[in-house]
Amino acid sequence: MNIQFKKGVLELCVLSMLVRKDCYGYELVYEISKRIDISEGTIYPLLRRLKEEGLMSTYLQESGEGPPRKYYALTDQGRQKERELRDEWLNFTVSVGKLLEANPNAVH
Amino acid sequence: MQSTELEYITALKERLGKRLPPEEVEDILSDYREHFRMGRADGRSEAELCRSLGEADDVAREMVATHFVNKAGHTKSARNFSHAVLATLGLGLFNLVFVLVPIIVLAVLLAVIFLVGGAFIVFGPVAFVLALLQLAGTPFFALWANPLAGILFSVGITALGLLLIIGNYYLANFFYRLGIRYLKWNIRVIRGTEEE
Repeated sequence: MNIQFKKGVLELCVLSMLVRKDCYGYELVYEISKRIDISEGTIYPLLRRLKEEGLMSTYLQESGEGPPRKYYALTDQGRQKERELRDEWLNFTVSVGKLLEANPNAVH
Repeated sequence: MQSTELEYITALKERLGKRLPPEEVEDILSDYREHFRMGRADGRSEAELCRSLGEADDVAREMVATHFVNKAGHTKSARNFSHAVLATLGLGLFNLVFVLVPIIVLAVLLAVIFLVGGAFIVFGPVAFVLALLQLAGTPFFALWANPLAGILFSVGITALGLLLIIGNYYLANFFYRLGIRYLKWNIRVIRGTEEE
């Protein structure tokens, strides 16, 4: 898939994972890169940006072993943004889907 | 290409250290250290983790661009703005080159308006005093055919100067915010180098 396309959607992926539960960085990176082919290193700059924009906050939490992990949590603003982006994305995919279906040359 | 955690972290540190404040560098590095720690616990090799993280160079460039764009957003100055543009250009966003010319033209235009407004504000009161002196009958200052018109003119030109400066301030602010949003959009949507 086109890299610019993927990157625009990355923000929605991160936000929507955090709607379900707070996650630590590796968890977000791992889950996303399992499904979307993107260099894992670019997700951390995105996480910093989303935090900087006030869409999420971070806290440290002890784990069973080793040093504490940094967890990411959505702020109210982040939840709102997630809903907006989700609606946009769903509308967009439905529209594109309809156009593709309408193509008489499509091979199924 | 780095193949161990130490190499990766060192490469990042070296590239970030020159541009970002030390606390921020340390914060970024701790995220990547945690990534390596979790990845190893997950049974992945350091070489594999490095590979899937992508070039430390690219990561560092993106971090630097983000930092400078945020900084310019928080503290408005021409210097911060130009740093932000340069750092974003460093991502290999060639589309920015095309807006560079309009940005420079706009900056020059704003500067010219500022200078003209400033000149009016200085010149207006001087012309006003000269007209007053002429009105008072000092022959030496017979600048105007009609000193009353001179007074009106000088008041007018001072007011125009003030308007220009105030308008220019709002205009500059508006374009500054627009510029920052454009840079942020660039960083968000476009990545310098493709994977693979």
